[in-house]
Parts: sequence; structure tokens; C-alpha cells
Amino acid sequence: MSTQQIELVVNGETVRAAVEPRMHLGDFVRRQLGLTGTHLSCEHGVCGACTVLIDGVPQRSCITYAVACDGSSITTVEGYGDDPVMAAVRRAFHEHHALQCGYCTPGMLCTARDIVLRLPGPDARRVRHELAGNLCRCTGYVGIVEAIESVLAQKARGELAMPAPVAAAAPAVAGPAAATWEPIEIPADGDWIEVRQTVALPLAPDAAFARLKDLRLVANCLPGAEIARHEGERAEGVMNIRFGPITAAFAMRAELALDDVARTGRMRAEGVDRRSATRVKTLLDYAVGDGGAGRSDVALTLRFRLAGPLAQFSRAGLVNDYVAEMTRIFGANLGSAASGQAPAGPAQAPSILALLWARLRRLFG
Amino acid sequence: MKAAAFAYTRPAALADALRAAGRDARFVAGSQSLGPMLNLRLAEPPALVDVRRLPELRGARVEGGRLHLGAAVTHAEIEDGAVPDTTHGMLPAVARGIAYRAVRNRGTLGGSLAHADPAADWVNAMTVLGARCHIAGPDGRRVLPVHEFLQGTYRTALGPGELLVEVELPAFSERMRWGYYKVAAKVGEFASAIGAAVHDPALAMTHLLVGAIEARPLLLPPFAGALELAGDAAIEAFGARIAAALPQADAVFVHQHATALARAVARLRAEGAA
Amino acid sequence: MSENRTGIGARVLRKEDERLLNGRGRFIDDLAFPRLLEAAFWRSPVAHGRIARLDVPADLAGSVFAWRDMAGVRPITARSTLPGYQVSDYAALADGVVRFVGEPVAVAVAPTRAEAEDRVARLAPSIDELPPLADVRSALASRTPLHPGWKDNLFIELKRDDDFAALEGRVAHVVRREFRMNRQSMSPMEGKAVLALWDDQRNQLVVYSSTQVPHMIRSGLAECLGLPLAQLRVIAPDVGGGFGYKCNLMPEEVAIAWLALKLKRPVRWVEDRREHLVAGTNCREHQYRMAAHVDARGRLLGLEAEVWVDSGAYSVWPFTACLETGQIIGNLPGPYKMECYRCTVQGVATNKPPFSPYRGVARPGVAFAMEMMMDAIARTVGRDPTAVRFENLVTAADMPYTNIARKAFDTGDYPSSLTRVMEMLDHAGFAQRQAEARKEGRYLGIGFATYTEQAAHGTSVFASWGLPIVPGYDGATVKLTADGTLEVKVGVHSHGQGMETSLAQIASELTTLPLEAINVIHGDTGETPFSTGTYASRSIVMAGGAVSKACEVLMGRARTLAAALGKCDAAALRLEGGAFRGAGVTVSLKDIGEAWFHRPERLPAAVPDGGLEVTEHYKPAVDTGVFSFASHGAVVEVDIDTGNVRLVDYVIAEDCGTLVNPMIVDGQTIGGAVQGIGTALFEEMPYDAAAQPLASTYADYLLPGASEMPHIRIAHSETPSPHTRHGIKGVGEGGAIAPPAAILNAVNRALAEFGVEFNETPLTPRRLLAAVLAARRARAAAPLKEAA
Repeated sequence: MSTQQIELVVNGETVRAAVEPRMHLGDFVRRQLGLTGTHLSCEHGVCGACTVLIDGVPQRSCITYAVACDGSSITTVEGYGDDPVMAAVRRAFHEHHALQCGYCTPGMLCTARDIVLRLPGPDARRVRHELAGNLCRCTGYVGIVEAIESVLAQKARGELAMPAPVAAAAPAVAGPAAATWEPIEIPADGDWIEVRQTVALPLAPDAAFARLKDLRLVANCLPGAEIARHEGERAEGVMNIRFGPITAAFAMRAELALDDVARTGRMRAEGVDRRSATRVKTLLDYAVGDGGAGRSDVALTLRFRLAGPLAQFSRAGLVNDYVAEMTRIFGANLGSAASGQAPAGPAQAPSILALLWARLRRLFG
Repeated sequence: MKAAAFAYTRPAALADALRAAGRDARFVAGSQSLGPMLNLRLAEPPALVDVRRLPELRGARVEGGRLHLGAAVTHAEIEDGAVPDTTHGMLPAVARGIAYRAVRNRGTLGGSLAHADPAADWVNAMTVLGARCHIAGPDGRRVLPVHEFLQGTYRTALGPGELLVEVELPAFSERMRWGYYKVAAKVGEFASAIGAAVHDPALAMTHLLVGAIEARPLLLPPFAGALELAGDAAIEAFGARIAAALPQADAVFVHQHATALARAVARLRAEGAA
Repeated sequence: MSENRTGIGARVLRKEDERLLNGRGRFIDDLAFPRLLEAAFWRSPVAHGRIARLDVPADLAGSVFAWRDMAGVRPITARSTLPGYQVSDYAALADGVVRFVGEPVAVAVAPTRAEAEDRVARLAPSIDELPPLADVRSALASRTPLHPGWKDNLFIELKRDDDFAALEGRVAHVVRREFRMNRQSMSPMEGKAVLALWDDQRNQLVVYSSTQVPHMIRSGLAECLGLPLAQLRVIAPDVGGGFGYKCNLMPEEVAIAWLALKLKRPVRWVEDRREHLVAGTNCREHQYRMAAHVDARGRLLGLEAEVWVDSGAYSVWPFTACLETGQIIGNLPGPYKMECYRCTVQGVATNKPPFSPYRGVARPGVAFAMEMMMDAIARTVGRDPTAVRFENLVTAADMPYTNIARKAFDTGDYPSSLTRVMEMLDHAGFAQRQAEARKEGRYLGIGFATYTEQAAHGTSVFASWGLPIVPGYDGATVKLTADGTLEVKVGVHSHGQGMETSLAQIASELTTLPLEAINVIHGDTGETPFSTGTYASRSIVMAGGAVSKACEVLMGRARTLAAALGKCDAAALRLEGGAFRGAGVTVSLKDIGEAWFHRPERLPAAVPDGGLEVTEHYKPAVDTGVFSFASHGAVVEVDIDTGNVRLVDYVIAEDCGTLVNPMIVDGQTIGGAVQGIGTALFEEMPYDAAAQPLASTYADYLLPGASEMPHIRIAHSETPSPHTRHGIKGVGEGGAIAPPAAILNAVNRALAEFGVEFNETPLTPRRLLAAVLAARRARAAAPLKEAA
């Protein structure tokens, strides 16, 4: 019986142990760590009772070997602490009678929490589809689906505190070499959300326009933007959004097209949020006009549209507000940056609470 | 159901992995296909060499329009769009239908191809896409079309000590269209029939695939009007060709496979019309 | 009905959930004991054979055992007093002959299960194969009985043979059909498990068993091991599903108990999924040949039936191979009236795992046969299937009604449940929806099934089946403690039904104590009064009745003490909010407990000394059971090119008398219905000609998953039983009874134009397509006939 040393984090604690390679993770946590909450029912990956988090995402502990988890982080049903989503899921399971004998429950909870993290709102058909890998012989699933739907409804209403997104060891996606840059196509038709702003700059139009050619400068004025790579008129980076309890990190590509004569610029950008698979396309147009007396008026038009889970909000007005606020900050930052000063406010995404407060204040004068 | 004993190593680099793989050692990535066989003692390899985190197998890039996916990219990463997609959504759509999310979070593209279950989704999708398999071994690297890589049920062209490291797709044009359809009684189970179609006039490619036939997938020779067939006429036309190619198949088998292909072709058409 | 928000009828959330939601359940495999050994079995790979050699390598001599080592251990022998019943001896490890694939032959122990399996892998018993009896037909045709001393391969044959002469001249049609339900596995998520160890302090063998029937396991083990009952304690901890699988004494249970005695160390066995699917597939397999004698309106005048149960290789204990056959002959007529009934049921021995009663026990099969027959009658006489049911159902006005099989229906409006599901599915508008769908090339169908479920049937019924243990009274002990909380101890055991909550609700109803103050203990023979256990949808009636009765007696004593403490008239007091109130005094149950146990000086000298611990025994006023009933309705859409059946809508209208906890009732009903859907469309263990099981993993044996299941709507009515306390009837099994018929009736309706009729479960895509393709080919070959 030859064993190997492994070291991993289980429920937040570092564990060092000697294991036979053939011991699967489920047996490891149950027998060697005494964490018997994870249950074994089929040991061939179909029933889902053994599902735990490995490096933050649900995986089968019965067909994953403990030695292969050396260096990984494991969370079993005993280890969620006060994770707000798990707490909400547990409460919902209790209220909707989503368990009877309890044997499938630990794996069911793991999957249910993951469904809540990944879906934007209630969708019974999709929830049932996502539950295909967790068998229950007692409940007939109705209570389980209703429980998950109720938590998704809480999330859609913004009532659910979300945990920090998991930093997965994602594949190294090589950026396209310059020769293979795929042009960003922004279709003209369809529904766009549009926001307009005018920014006053204390620079003459030519000088202002020259400043605005600097893509890095422009991008840095966008709340939440980080440029990773930049070459001429093309850039790649990340756009971080905090929308209340929801965070998203859009991996973005952008390109800037300029008309020196008309003093206009158009930035087309597109991106995807890996966590939610939401896609965004944006068009930011600006035109530098003469404001007289050595000043410029920059007319900004931002158009964008989202596709995917993060787009499916019923609170469209709130989203538009958010974007308008973001654009206002952008304008302010642009003004400061273009005149050589540091941006007026932090280049940070506005918070939904600030927006709500602003709205309420407007209501009450 | 506990596995028989085996030795385990996890080399840090591809060169080490190739050296570590002796005659009896099996490569393992996500262990989602191998694990059940180990637990059932249907497979009792004396040693496993873990390649799941090898950096050489974890990349993704597009070169000259050709997508290269590392063999240890997971189904979930493809599903979520964490890697580029040059197939106009086919790759994420196929990934989304593989088994269950928990399995997709660890199971890999290369692991699935190397396991070569006839009803596995990548086995069928990569065949219809005309992919190529990049293999590394003791004698260096070689490239095989996937249809030659897959040789039968649980059989591939991999020789002793050889490892699938990358899958490469053709440079599809913006006119590429696809359809993929599985007949199954339950979400996540192995399909009873798979039909798939890929058409790209820029590459002069029209592939019609009949899969989950308990052998490696069958590519039907394209015929005029194949992509325009609809409804019962499609099922009948495809059924006749499937029956001719698989004379042992019974009426139910033929009908399910013809249906799968007909629905895949219908989806291909619908995508083109959108 | 109760004003008490935690009493009978309240939708209280479950006490069990707290530990189960946080991974603190305690299942057999979770237990830890020093020096524990884990066991694995070498199981027969052939269905029938003689063990020629069984050599144990020398180094395994102390850790591998066979039947020859188990001196003094008796085989499991399930006897029945029914005439003609043939007895089979079922040894814990095969005694020279193996009779089904998976039968345990040898057991190995080791510090870990993996090592125990390594040891098993080193054994290579040689088995001389004998011809296998792979199905009922070959078993009946065989001249070689499966067991020594048998005259043929029948465990039992039951007959009922009315004279049909009275029907002469009135029968317009004889509708003949054959039906088949294929073999299934029950597949609880936790397999069977048992852990045994010797307790030196108490001088007894303690057997932890994942079981529904701890007290019966204790009796069964005592008999096999030759131990006095006093030296056996059986404890059922948390049990991960049962559904009948864990109602029997299993050979592995005997083997593990014996090993613990022999090795003087704790020994555990946990059934894995392959073991369960291969060796534990043991239910549902029925075949029917029926003839319904009806008049022109479809009124059932007489029913003839021949039924076969593939009973497997041995009779289980204690329910025997008789139970299924007895339930068939008694329940086939169902909720319908008829004048004549002729039925022969045979329980046939084959080389398959021993047949065991599974949720519904024969009712799913007989309801399938009867409800499919109702639709067949309707097609024959040209009426709507629901109309034919209304023609034949026993009605509320008939109650109480003793049917042709001598089932004494107590109360209930059976037709109302059918009316209700018809409304819920908008049956009136269905024909149009079906026609519109058909224009779009979609095939919709609607189907129904109605049944009654006998629950909590008692002594005389089980005795008539001649079983070795017959249920009688169920006991409950209730004890008021010094701090005013209540301990409730019962001999039934939950495997998901939530009895720690529902029984606490009954106690709360009677004592007015809140649920947090009530603690239900069950599953331990060392702590609880005798009960035959949880099966036959009996627990809430039997244990619930006993708890109710015991609490009533206890409150009577408490009232006397309250009056003494309050120095007032007992009759002036009312019990409310955990205290006796009235005549200007308030005496809480806590006051009473404290006085009795700690401060007796507060009590007057002349006080009854009965104490605050009461054990009462209960059974309903009648033995013949109480009858829940329901109708199910299904709307399906059939994909005639893939063979898939989609459940568009599924509704249930059920009545189980007084609801103790409506939430738990819904859970039981839906859970049962989904198992029934599994029977209808997904679950089957196929066997080949050598009686080899062909679906040993979940890749091949398909359990219903959330993605295929419909949302299920339930309507309730409550018609209390006059025979039970609070009018409660049982409900645990009912949901599983109707789905196969409702669904297949709907599919037959959807595909009526093809002239196909499906009469076999599961209706897999392959079966569906084969029939439809054949029908379409035949129609294509003979188009002219249609014009006629």
C-alpha cells in the first residue's frame, strides 16, 4: 500500500496527508478527514451526490483522485461558512421541502448554489436542465426547482449578496498577432442603449482632439477599464463592472478610428464576461467642437448593448442610469485628463447605491 | 467500487510527461471518462501520468483563422467562451450538451477524444469539423486528421507513450454554418444517435456526420440537395443512405440516426437564414 | 382540523432539515469505530450453477469466509401458511448452489473497502453452470425445480374463481389484452448498509442497519444467528431512502452480523451501485392476460385475469414471495364495481434476484393493467375513457363498500378525483388542442388513471397472506420530562418521510407543546416499543395513532396532577399553550414535570402514581385497512421520429384523509409520482437468455432526472377515515401507482391514428419507434385500405 504526500486546502484549512493514488477525493474527505457530509451513491459520476467544489467550481469527488487534487482548494458541504448564496439556498431548500432522506442533498446544494451563481434569474426549464447531473429518488424535484428559482428571484431583485468571483486558472489565450486582428463588427441595426453627454474642455479644439487620440488616455478615463495591451489604434484589456452585488469582468478588444478633419473619433469595442458569458458591444463616438475662447465642447455618444445573462435584467431603467452615471464620470475624467490633471474622481465604476440615493434625492427635491 | 492500486505522477512539463509514460502508463487529464472505469475495475492501469495542468496542453490561439485548442482545455471553458470560437457558436453549443456541469468543469477535450467513446460529443463534433489532432510522442510530433486519429470504439491511433496535445480546426469563413443534434432520452446521457452537419463554401466543405453508431462516426458522402432536405423527405433520404452504409442496423436505429441528421441539417439552414 | 399552528394540518417545516442541510446526517457509512473492518463480497457471475471449488489463499485464511465457515447459522427461511407455498432456504452465503447473478458466495474483510475488494479479486471460485431459468415462461416449462424438494417452479399460486354464468346474455364485448411491466431496481440513493459490533457492556450484538424495519430485523437476525433477542439490538440511523428495498432481512446483513461475532471486531458493508443494480434488481416484473366482460356501454360485468410474477430465486423475509401475489389478486379490481371475478396469480421462481415489494406493492402493476384495460374498453365501445371510468367507479354514495375482492372501502368520493384532474387539464378543450397540434405535425395525447390504495391494513390481512411476522399493535412511549419537554419513542423508522416532524405534530396537537419541545426518537430497538416498521403506508396511521393515544392518556394524568397542584377541579381546566388553565390558575406541563420528578412535596399525598411516562398500543378499529385514493392525469407530446415522450402537463387529485403535514404529503405524492414516471418511461433491467443483467451502471439504468420530469400540480381533498385516530389515512406509496397507466394511455391516445397500442413498461424510445415505424410501413404498403 504505497502512499504519496499531498497538500491541499479543505474548507479553508491546509491539509497534509499521505494517500494511496487510487483513493478518490470523496473517500479522502470522508475517511481521512472525517468530513462525512459528502456522500457516495454511484461512484461513476452520474448521480451527483458526491459533488463538491474543487478550485471553486462543482466537480465529482468520486471520479477525481485525491492525488490529482494536490495543490487544489476543496469546499465540502461542511465548509461554506457564511457564504451568503449557500445560506440563501439552504433556507430555500428548507422552506420548499427540497429534501427528504437527505442523502443527495450535499451534492444538490453544491450544484444549486452554482446554478444561482451562473443564471441571471428564474428560468424553470434551464434550472431543470442544469440539475440533470444530480439525481434524487425521494422528492421528485419539484421542491428543489422551486427552491432554486426562489433564490434566483432574490438575485434578480438585487437582494442577494454575491461572493467574490472565482479566479480560475484559465487557459492562456494568446492574443491574436497583429496580422490576425479580427475587425470589430458593430452592426448598425438592432436595439442599442444610448447615452449622450457634452464635456467642456479647457483646450482649443485642435489641441483637445490631439489629446483624445491617445487611446490609453481615453480608456483610462473609463470607470473600471484596464488596458493590458495597446498597439496603435488597437487595445485589449478588461472592463470591470460592479453593479450592486453583481460583478463582471469583460475581456475587451477595442479599436479607435479617427477623422482628423472633422475632429471626430469612434471607438468600437466588444467583449465577453467569462463568468456569466455575457457579451457586450459598444460604440463611443465623440466630436470635438469649438466652444469659443480657447475651449472645446466634446459631444459624446455612447451606444452599447449586452447579450446574455447580465443583459436579462428587468430593471432596465436602473441599468441606463448606471451607464449615464458612468458616462458622466468619464466626461469629467476626460476633462481633467485632457487638461493635464489627474481625473477628478476615482476611475471606478459607480455603485448602485449611489445611484439609488441620487434618484431618491431627485424625487424628493 | 474502489479502483485497483496504481502509481501516479504529475510531471511539470510535456517533455517530462513523455519520458514518464512507459508502456503501461496511461495519461490522465480530467479523469472524468477514466475514473468510472477505474472505480468499476474495468481498467486497471499500473500507473497514471497526470497531464491536466501541463502548460503546453492548456493554451488556445487563433493562427491564420485556424483555432488551436490545447488538449487539456475543459468542456466548461469551451462552453463559457473562455477560449476563442471560430465556429460561429458550434463549439460552445456542443460543449453545453456534454454530460453535466460538474463533469464539464474537469473533463477535457483531449481526454474525451483519446477515450474515443463513439457517442462522445467531441468525437463527433471534431470529426464533422474536420479537425486535426496534434500528437507528441517519443519520436516527436505528428498531425493526423481526427477521422484517422479515431479508429473505433475506445481505439485511437495513439501509440505507446504518445499524447494528444492539441486539436486544430480549419480556418472557417464567415459563411460557415453548422448543425448538431443528439437523440437521447435523458439530458447528459450518451446519445442513441448523433447527427451533425458543417458547410463552408469558402473551404468547399460539406460534412454530413452520422454518429453514436457504436463505431467511429460515419461521414456520409455529400450529395446534391442534401442541405435543402426537410421533414420526412430528409429522414427518408438520409435513412436510405445510412441503411446502405450500415446494413446491420435495424429500422429504429436507421430512423433515429436519419432524424438526428435531418434535424442537424435543419438547424444549419435556420442559422443561415437568420 | 386544528387551530394549533404546529399541530395536525399545519404546514410546518421539518426538524430533520437542520442536520441534513449541513452535512451532519448520520448514515451507516459515516459511523466510525476503532478497529473497524470493511467487507466486500465475491458474487456469482452466473445465474445458476453449482460451486465446484472455493479455495481461499493461505494468507487470506482469517479474512475470507464462505457458508461452510458459518456453522450454526441458519439460512433465511420465509415461511407462509398459504396452502401450496413452497419454502426456499436463502443462505447468507451461497450454500453450494448459486441461483442468481450477484448472489453472495464469499465475503472478505480488510481495514479498507478497497483492500477488501483486492482480496475478493484474488478469489476464483469455480462454478459449474446449470441451465438458467431466465424468465417466467422457461421456469414454468422447465422440469427441473430450482429448489430441492419442490415439485415445480411456483412459490405460490392463488386462485379466485367465480362462476360467470350469471353474466350470460348480458355481455356485449369481451375485451382481451396482455400487459407487461419489466423488472426494475428500487435504487434508493443510499444502498443497503449494515455495521455490526459486539457491545461488551450490554452483552449484546449491536447491528446498525440501513433499514425500514429495525424490530423485524432484530427478530430475523435472532432466528438466523441463534441469539436470544435480549442479545440483539438493531439501530437504524439516518436512512437514505428505502421504498421497500430495506424492508427485508438481507443475506449480507446476516453475514456481517456473524462476522462481528466471529472476529470480535466491528464489521461494515455498504452496498455499492453496481451491487445494487446487479444483485438487487427485484421488483415490478408482472405479466397479465386479461379479459373484461362488458356491456355495450362499457360497464364491467366480469373480469378474468391470469397474472405471473417473476419472483426471482428466493423468497424474501419476512414479506415472502406471497405478498406480491396476494396484493395482486386482492387489488386488481381496484376502485371498480363488477359482478364476477376470476383470477389466477402465480409467483414463479427464476434465476433472478429475490422479488421484493417496492413502493405501491403490486398496485402499480394492477392499476396499470386495470387502467389500460379501461381505455381498451372505451375504444371497444366507442366512448371516452373517462366516461367508462365513471360508469364503473365505486361512488361516495356507495360507501362503505366492500368490493368483489372483499376490500372494505371506508370513505371517499373516487369519481370526484377524476373530475378534478379532468378540470385541471381542461379535458373538455383537449380534442381541439390535439387537432391543432396535429396540423403542426405534433402528436398530443391525454390519459388518466384512478386507484385506491389500501394502507395500514393489519393483522387479519397479513395473516391471510400467511406471513411469518404479522403486524398487530404499534406502540408509542411518550414521556414528559422534568423540564416540560416531551420524548416520543416509536418503532417505525423514517427514510425520508419526515416522521420526526409529523409525529411531533400529532404530539403537539394533543399536548399543545411547541415542536421544539418535542423530541421524536425512532429506529432503535433498544429504545423504542415494538413495531413491525415502516411499509405499506402505515406509519402515520399506526405510529401516529399510538402517539395520539399515548399523549391522550398522558395528558389525562397530567390534568389530574394539574388539578392537584392548582387545587381546583380537573374538569374546569383547559389545555392550551402547554399549560392547563382555568378557575384562576395556570399550571404548565413544565410545572407538572418539575413537581413530579424534582419537587414531589408539592403534590398531595393522594395522587395517582401512574407516572409521566406512558406506553400505549394502537391499531385502527378495522383490520382491513383504510383507503386513500387519487386520480392522475397526463398530457404528453410524442416525437414520432426520436421516440421521446415529453410530459407536457401532469396533475394529481388525491385524498389521504386528514393531512397531518400538507407539505410532507405533497413531497410523498410527487416523489412517488416521479418513481412511477420512471417505471412508465425509463427504468428497466433487461436480462439476456442466460439471465445476465444488462444494465449495471446508471449509464444504462436510467433514473428520472429533473430535466425530464414535469412540474406536477396536486389538488387535495380530505375525506377522513372513520377507523383511525384523527381520520388519517396513509399516503407514502400512492404517487407511484398511477403514472404508468396515465402516461401510456396518453401515448396511445396521441398515436391512435397509427393503430398502435402500447401495453408494456417502460415505454422506451426504441419500443415506441419500433411500433410506429412498423405501423407506418404497413400503412404505406396498403394505402387503399384506409379509403374504405
